Amino acid sequence: MSTGHYTHDNFGKIVIRAQVGIALALLLCLPLANFWFPSAYSLKAGIHGLSAILALVVGTYLTHRALPLIKGMHVNLESLRRWLLVATLLNLAGAISGNWIYMRYRGQDGPRDWILERVPAIHNVLMEFKEFVSLFPFPLMLSATALLYYYGLPMQTRRDLCRFVGITILVSWSFLMLGFVVGLVLAKLRFV
Amino acid sequence: MQQQSESNIQALRSGPVVAASLALLLAFLTLMVSHHISRLSPGLDKLVHSYGYWIPGSQGKGPDGSIGSYTGKETLAIGVWLLSWLAFHLMWRKQDLDLAIWTRIFVISLIVITLGFFHPLSDPLVLLIAGFFGLP
Repeated sequence: MSTGHYTHDNFGKIVIRAQVGIALALLLCLPLANFWFPSAYSLKAGIHGLSAILALVVGTYLTHRALPLIKGMHVNLESLRRWLLVATLLNLAGAISGNWIYMRYRGQDGPRDWILERVPAIHNVLMEFKEFVSLFPFPLMLSATALLYYYGLPMQTRRDLCRFVGITILVSWSFLMLGFVVGLVLAKLRFV
Repeated sequence: MQQQSESNIQALRSGPVVAASLALLLAFLTLMVSHHISRLSPGLDKLVHSYGYWIPGSQGKGPDGSIGSYTGKETLAIGVWLLSWLAFHLMWRKQDLDLAIWTRIFVISLIVITLGFFHPLSDPLVLLIAGFFGLP
């Protein structure tokens, strides 16, 4: 039996794209539902959730684009830097909306008060960690984007530069994941 | 074509990469140091907070709350980030620095700074350093 490269036929591609589309739509329902939650702060929560999930989805996609860059393979830099720009803007939106929702988190009888009364370690350790590492992806993504635009397309000729940008993308994603998971835990524990 | 690609290789310098990434480390370090300073006393918290008064929502009470001294920490970090990025870039843009070593330093420093935000690990060290400087 031969073991060559498996290439997806047309039907395979339709199935994969449909699966990605359905998964993304269902995933987006998670923050979209916030808009209908019975809270005076549902708008803030919905916008933060939406920008955070979109930043995570694009960030995850970018990790797949970063691997060939790290390995020194030829990549479409023009497309990559456009995606990086989108990721930068989404992470900025996540950080700004995070500041916005953080106000209510700290507000009178808000989630912070509730958590400190019942499980103080969740605030004192997890939230205090999350609020800072969540700020990391935006400058990391902006830095990677700026470098790709600064060097331009000739950058492909220098493998060490490409490798560093690829690693920056991977590192940014890991902070995105950390911030996102802790944010989800907090929102599950006590909604604003 | 060959000549053009060779001149491109010569034109590219790794200095801007080191400048951009070292500025990031300094920004994250500023975030960490200002955070730990603000936790030492209400007076120091107010001092750190004062740098962030320009951000809407930085002050206030009641159910709507406020962002608090987090705004001061963000402001200090953004300031250090952008100013140091500009300074390092101007200094190193024409230099070719070894990225193999720098990549390791960058990733390890990021991990160390990240652990600095994990209070069970960082608090004993912060209190030791604060005690050395006679801070509350």
